Amino acid sequence: MELFDNLLMGLSTAVQLNNLLFCLIGVVIGTAIGVLPGIGPIPTVALLLPFTFGLSPASAMIMLAGIFYGAQYGGSTTAILVNVPGETSSVVTCIDGHEMAKQGRAGTALAIAAIASFFAGTMATIVIAVLSVPLSVLALKFTAVEYFSLLVLGLIAAVVLAHGSVAKSLAMVLLGLLLGLVGIDVSSGVARMTFGIPALSDGLDFVPIAMGLFGLGEIIANLERPAERRVVSQSIRSLIPSWEDLRGAFPAVVRGTALGSVLGVLPGGGAALPPFSSYALEKKLARDPSRFGKGAIEGVAGPEAANNAGAQTSFIPLLTLGIPANALMALMIGALMMQGIQPGPQIMTEQPKLVWGVIASMWVGNLMLLIINLPLIGLWVSMLKIPYRLLFPAIVLFCCIGTYGIANGLFNVWLMMGCAMIGYFFIKIGVEPAPLLLGLVLGPQLEENFRRAMLIADGDFTVFLSRPISAVILAVVAALLLAMLSPAILRTRKEALAE
Amino acid sequence: MTRSRIDLQDLLFGLFLVAVATGTLVATRNLTVGHAADMGPGYMPRVVALALMAFGLFFSGRGLWRAGRGIAPVQLRPLLAILASVGVFALTAERLGLAITSVAAVILASFATREGRLVETVAFAIVLSGAAVLLFVKLLGLPIPIWPR
Repeated sequence: MELFDNLLMGLSTAVQLNNLLFCLIGVVIGTAIGVLPGIGPIPTVALLLPFTFGLSPASAMIMLAGIFYGAQYGGSTTAILVNVPGETSSVVTCIDGHEMAKQGRAGTALAIAAIASFFAGTMATIVIAVLSVPLSVLALKFTAVEYFSLLVLGLIAAVVLAHGSVAKSLAMVLLGLLLGLVGIDVSSGVARMTFGIPALSDGLDFVPIAMGLFGLGEIIANLERPAERRVVSQSIRSLIPSWEDLRGAFPAVVRGTALGSVLGVLPGGGAALPPFSSYALEKKLARDPSRFGKGAIEGVAGPEAANNAGAQTSFIPLLTLGIPANALMALMIGALMMQGIQPGPQIMTEQPKLVWGVIASMWVGNLMLLIINLPLIGLWVSMLKIPYRLLFPAIVLFCCIGTYGIANGLFNVWLMMGCAMIGYFFIKIGVEPAPLLLGLVLGPQLEENFRRAMLIADGDFTVFLSRPISAVILAVVAALLLAMLSPAILRTRKEALAE
Repeated sequence: MTRSRIDLQDLLFGLFLVAVATGTLVATRNLTVGHAADMGPGYMPRVVALALMAFGLFFSGRGLWRAGRGIAPVQLRPLLAILASVGVFALTAERLGLAITSVAAVILASFATREGRLVETVAFAIVLSGAAVLLFVKLLGLPIPIWPR
């Protein structure tokens, strides 16, 4: 079986001592990020990118991936104990999880969340492994024409399925594309939009942009609405769920995993959409829906499984096609590019050790998370007591030093400051910045493939429609955009995304 | 969130896009555009800028035309304190060194909230500064001076 050979090869990469170490560092940092409200995984991954330059590409990806799914685990702790989502994906867990904590069943809720996440993580790893091979075989048939259409699909789908206004998100993608064009034009060697600044000739670094837009902008906005946190920690009595609890939760875990795995693969899905959908599904299937909101265990188990499965399967487009499904995956692509690996459909055939190593490490990381989350829960609870007034100045300082470290220069620090201002402006006017990051990272590839496709076709735009694979992809794009205009779908989307 | 007669969120976003698009068109006015089969360096920036311009005009128009949400009032304290913290870092890091700059940046940032207590903040800033020097300069070899030179 090729699948087992691949997984074995991946496992041999994943269990190398240094990779185990980086996986552990990743999941620990991720859990901390998830537990602490006020800083998300995007600025954290951006902040840690400079540290990965010295690592092998596999170690770097393993650590960064660990942060992402680790944050999904950690987020549930805060949701259950404080009723504040540590991560957007744990918003739903607050509803019934915190209710359980108030009834003195915090330990059960935490245990169910961790077990559901572990089960989902394991299944999602298998889904990734099974789907990767056929997808990459298909992707190898791609030329510049198909790849351009695929990039368009990735961008549009990410926009349509994500939060917020579609028109505004499209505009944000274009803005990102524009920023991605800054720098020396590869084919003519002419400087574009560099305003005579030498630091811009290689293009804008996306790390200071991500840190400014997502990190500092968010901190400024957070400080405007002071939130108090009350930890319900005295009620963690037993972490071992009863047989009855497990039996009640198990079907929800299975459904949540399935739903999360499917939604995670969709661009834009990432980890935000699956928990909402799973919660809605459980409520619909329940014999007594009125229990929901009052501490129903399925309301914790389903969404937790869904968000973790979704977090992991959102790596599929990245690992097989080289296309990011959300802003965080865009940062991962950036990390690969900094390592000199060109993401694209050929990534699986050219970097099998890297891809399978990352896939296998996900299961290893999930196992570690189960261990660090349950016995060490007291440690994470005490982290919750760090006041925000000390936390945010530290984040600001580390962001400054981190951006400095990318090019060992101050230009990026100024750039981050400008982006912090713009990020705050975006929050004020209610615009989601994630599509900008996607556009920024995919911009150069989009332009390069477009130019190459046009060169092949001698400037004939119909080439995108006359090639079958490309035509099918663009038809999906058109269908997605048309569907967005239909009022019925608009309504369900609003319901699905409503908190 | 207050209601207002115009949709201020849309209008501001629209104006922002128009400004960016105009800036791009001006900045790329001397670049060769070329044509589809043989694109010059100015082709993509101009296409994207024109599309942004269209979006910008659309949002501005829609913002003026329909009623919508106003903007939550801007609080200057967090905004200025965080920006000042980053700005001071950028201005002094290479001259005064990481140790002093870190202390200054942390103290400035802590002004973003009224909750801070000066003694606690200063002590925390000094500890953080030490940790940053150890981690970034000693351990990770970041080429940044520790002390003024």
